[in-house]
Parts: sequence; C-alpha cells; structure tokens
Amino acid sequence: MDFIALVFGSFSLLLDPFNLTYVIMGFVIGTIFAAIPGLTATLAMALLLPLTYSLSVETALMACASIYMAGMCGGSITATTINIPGAPSSMMTALDGYPMQLQGKGALALGHAALGSMFGGAVGALLLIAVAPFVAELSLLVKTTGKFSLLAFALIVVVIAQRGRIPQAGLAACIGLMLATVGLDAMEPITRFTYGYSNLTAGIDLMPVIIGTFAIAEVLMQAASSRDISAATAAADKVKIRRRDFIPPLSDIRKIGFGVYFKSCLIGYFVGTLPGAGGSMGSFLAYTETVRTSDEPETFGKGNPKGIAASESANNAVCGGAMVPMLTFGIPGDPITAIMLGVLVINGIQPGPQLMTDQAGMIAPMLASLLFSAVVLIPLTLWLIGPYFIKIVSMRKDVLYAAIALLAVVGSYVATYSTFQMFMALGMGILAFYLRRNGFPVITMLLGYILGPNLEEFLRRSLALSNGDPTTFFTNPDSLFFIALTLVFVYFLVIRKPAESPLAAKAK
Amino acid sequence: MLLNRQLVFLYVTLAVSVGYLVTALSLGAPIADGGLTPAFFPLLVGAAAILFAGILIVQQLRTAQDEATADKPGSYTHLWIAVAIFFYIVAFKPLGYFLSSTLFVFALIVLFSSFEKLLVKAVISVVVVGAAYLMFQQLFGVRLPTPWG
Repeated sequence: MDFIALVFGSFSLLLDPFNLTYVIMGFVIGTIFAAIPGLTATLAMALLLPLTYSLSVETALMACASIYMAGMCGGSITATTINIPGAPSSMMTALDGYPMQLQGKGALALGHAALGSMFGGAVGALLLIAVAPFVAELSLLVKTTGKFSLLAFALIVVVIAQRGRIPQAGLAACIGLMLATVGLDAMEPITRFTYGYSNLTAGIDLMPVIIGTFAIAEVLMQAASSRDISAATAAADKVKIRRRDFIPPLSDIRKIGFGVYFKSCLIGYFVGTLPGAGGSMGSFLAYTETVRTSDEPETFGKGNPKGIAASESANNAVCGGAMVPMLTFGIPGDPITAIMLGVLVINGIQPGPQLMTDQAGMIAPMLASLLFSAVVLIPLTLWLIGPYFIKIVSMRKDVLYAAIALLAVVGSYVATYSTFQMFMALGMGILAFYLRRNGFPVITMLLGYILGPNLEEFLRRSLALSNGDPTTFFTNPDSLFFIALTLVFVYFLVIRKPAESPLAAKAK
Repeated sequence: MLLNRQLVFLYVTLAVSVGYLVTALSLGAPIADGGLTPAFFPLLVGAAAILFAGILIVQQLRTAQDEATADKPGSYTHLWIAVAIFFYIVAFKPLGYFLSSTLFVFALIVLFSSFEKLLVKAVISVVVVGAAYLMFQQLFGVRLPTPWG
C-alpha cells in the first residue's frame, strides 16, 4: 500500500513545469516516431538516451515512460490511414482500421484506437502499480542458483519466442553474450577479449550498443530499403480529418463491450511480462481471442471497431506488463524496457529486487507518468494534433534520416567525450544492420548482452557455493521452478506450436 | 550458390565464433579447484555460436540448392552512409562540431535524395546542425568540439 500511495503522491511531480515539459515532449516525440513507418519509439528513446546524463533520473524515467506509451499507440495512425503500421504492435489494428478508413470512417477508427490505447495503458499501469511490489517481495526469495535459472529462462524464452527463426535468434543471443564477456572479468582480475586494447578493459559500454543497434542500424536499413510510401501518403493527404469525428459514439463502445477491452488488457499485460513477447504478440493474441469469442467473426478484417479496440487495448497494456520483470528482476521484456534499464544503469542504479524497496521513490514517478500518459496524453494528443497526423508521415525522409544520424553519432560522443564510443556505435550499427538484414532478431542479441554478465556471475557463484556440483540447479526449489517453467515454454512454443489464424496470416 | 549474401554473412559469423572460441581456449582451463574459471562461460558461448552458425549454414545451403535464387541487385547507399559516418567521426574533433556536422548532414541528405537543389540542401544542413547544437550544448550542457580546442 505504501508503494501505491507513493505512486499517486508522485503525480505532484507532474505539476513541475520542467518535468511536465519532458513528459509531454517525450510523448509527442514518441508519437511522431511511432507514426512514421520505419521509425519506432525505440529509436526515439535510443536517440534521447545520451540526454539522460543531464537530467535527474526521475525526469528521465518519466520521459521514457511517456515515450513508451506513445510508441504503442502512435503506430495505429498510419496503420489506419495508409495501411502501413507505424510500429509492429499496430499490425492487427490495420486489419480493421484501414477498411474503416476506406469506408470514410478513418477518424472514428483513430478515435477507437485512442480509446483502446487509453484503456489498455491505464489498466496496464494500474496492474503494474498493484502487482510490482508483491513480485519484488517474491523475487527476494530467489537465491543465486534460482537467479541463474531465471536469467537462463528469460534468454531461452526470448530465443524460442522467435518462431520460425530460432537458430538465428540463438546465434544473435550468442553474439550478445560474446559482447558481454569483453573486458575485465567480474570475479577475477583478468581481462578477456580486449586484444591489448585498453579502451575495452571496462567492457563495451551500453550507450554505443543501444545507439548503434537502434539508431545507426535503422538509418542504414532505411538507406538499403527501397520501400516508397509517397504514393500512399499522398492519397491519405487528401483525406480530411475533423476533430469531432474522433469521438466514438456510446453505442459503438457498448457494442464492443467492457469485456473485450478488459480481456484484451489482461492478455496484453500478461504477454508483456514474458521476455521477448512484446506489443505485437499481445495485440495478436487479444485480436484472435476477440475473433474467436465473437458472434460475428466474419465481420473482422472488414472494419469492425472491436478488432481495433482489442488490438490497441492489448498493446498498450503490454507497457505495464513489460516493466514488471525489468523493475523486479532486471530482465527487460522488449527493446524499450532494455533502454529504460540502460537509463537506470547509466545513473548507477542496479535494477532488481532491492529497487522497489530501497529506491521506490525513484521508480514511482515513472509509473505515475505511465498512467498520466495513458489517461491524459493519448486523448489530448489525438484531439490537438490528430488532424495533422498524416502531415507528420509526409515529412522529408532525407532530412529526417540525416538528422537522426547526426543525433545518434553525436549522442554516442556525449557519454565519455571520446570518439572511441562513436566508433563503437558505428561498429554496433553495422553489426545490427547485417543481423537485421539477414533475418536475425536483434532483441535477442541485446538481451544476451544485457543479461550476459549476471548469467555468468550467477552460474559461477552457484557452482562455487555447491563445490562444483551441477545438481544444485535441480535441488534448489527456486531454481527447479524456473527450469520447470522453461520446459513448459519449450513445450508450448517449440514442441506444440501454436496455430496461426488466417487473419494473422493476412496481417503478415 | 555457395556465396550468396546470407551465406557470406554466416561464414563471417562462423569465423568470428571460431576466433572467439580459440581466444577463450587461450584463457586457460575452464575448471580449476572445483570451480569455474573466466574461460568456462566464453567456451560455452563460443561453442553454442559455432553450433548455431553451423545449423544455419547447412539450412542455407539446402535452401540455396532447392531454390537456386539469385541475389536481387540492391542499393549500396547504406555502404556510403557507413563510410560517411566513419569519416564524420574521424573529422569530428579536428574540424570541430559545426564544420564536420554540416558536411556530414549535407552528404547524408544528398545520399538519401538526389544530387539536385544543393543550395537548399546546404541551408537545411546548417539549420539541422544549428538545431542539434542548441539542443546538445545549450539545453543539455554538452561541450561539443571546436577546431580551436
């Protein structure tokens, strides 16, 4: 209860004009980046990461939370108006949003998307606020061997969640783990894989890894891509969007039903707690569940607002869910929470069970910002800049990508004022570019890099404590629990593969 | 067929993984005095990377034989972008933020569009660099390099 009171008390921080400006700026930037196909809120956050050096950790985390929320709902703009999801999490929204646009109800579809996002974001944030302290208390029970099994579980689940490309995901995770082993060993005074290069003694810094992986690689991907959306944006540009059309009629909301919203929120939230699942998985599962339980499944994919409500409620609820393992165990569920973890690490804060108890005051404003973004900023942004959304999409791409490249390269200089970090960012960008181009999921590389040091440390400590007896992982109940959980996930994701619905295939 | 783009990438990855494993082996015995040494984990990771790279190469060779598809002729803009970033970093401190960044942004705008309306693009480059300067130096207090130190 103390933590809940702390979160609600933190709303006072939003009255500070400085904090409020950063939260609003974060939300607007997140929306713009999510709306433009090819750009993501992850990229926005990666670009803004260097700036967190000059901000207080509370303000930086509040801005991150608003970018996260904006990133999940911003993708619905282009998904609805031009049938190109600005973010992967809005893929399912396009299935019903675009048909509504073709029927002249594009603004209403955006209104339904905003309402679903608002509801999903709020429920996800409230569940996070209510559940996180208990999970944090439970996580204190996990000892060294259990921690190793938990981290191994997270890494394995992220790899096997990449259906159809598990070997690629495995290799990407190994590359991440390799990067994590560069530098001074955590337990013995030995340097590894530095090849005599003193700049590598402290290891590979998180900042160039994130900037390279998400910003520089994205610029290279766009340069290599031949996709031209100018015709689509030109067509959408002719569509007149009026503010009053955004408001969904009460009869529509009744028809969708509270059950659809709430069930989708719960699906999104629980999917969010799983490592590597993310918003697209959450919206996919919620959408298919809504189709499955609907009386008129044939209307989906033809402009049924229920589909938009399910998809958007779920992907925004993912925000709350994904923060649970990040805050309580230091395990990021997706790239955005990985960058948030970076903000904590850069500020010398170690995420984990102690975070919620010892530094709850630092975390509470972020959760308040998450809730504020969902309830206030989503509808406000739609109302204020909704009619101009499509103009954002029509921005000059040459200037946009040049500016992104500039911010990324200079941003990687900020941390240490050394060009070495800039070269590292370029190197990571090229690596991530080739990984993505060849169908390797970079999230598994990032998770391998982030979890690698702890994974190795807990493995060595566990075996040191048991005098080298590997059965310790099976005799400790906490470790055994996570091993069993891993096997359950392997069974459901690899052995008994989930069926794919025809609508999902259409979305692909 | 043995050298399509994806296979080249996989061969490079395999070579790096083998190099990593060899370096890990040079760190010493993986187990000493009943405990794990700093060599153990890298050995495990290196071996797993080789295994995954091997699986992917076999998969790729089989697909290549079945489909016998040729690589699509692609754009090389991304390579020029990477080269531009490299030279930008090299010139960043000696030339200072303004000159190096303006040249870099101008080069990227041209690479992403065409070799036309250069004056307009040069003006846009100066505006972008100026805006980034305001953000970094004035708003966030970052010291950016100048040619005079």
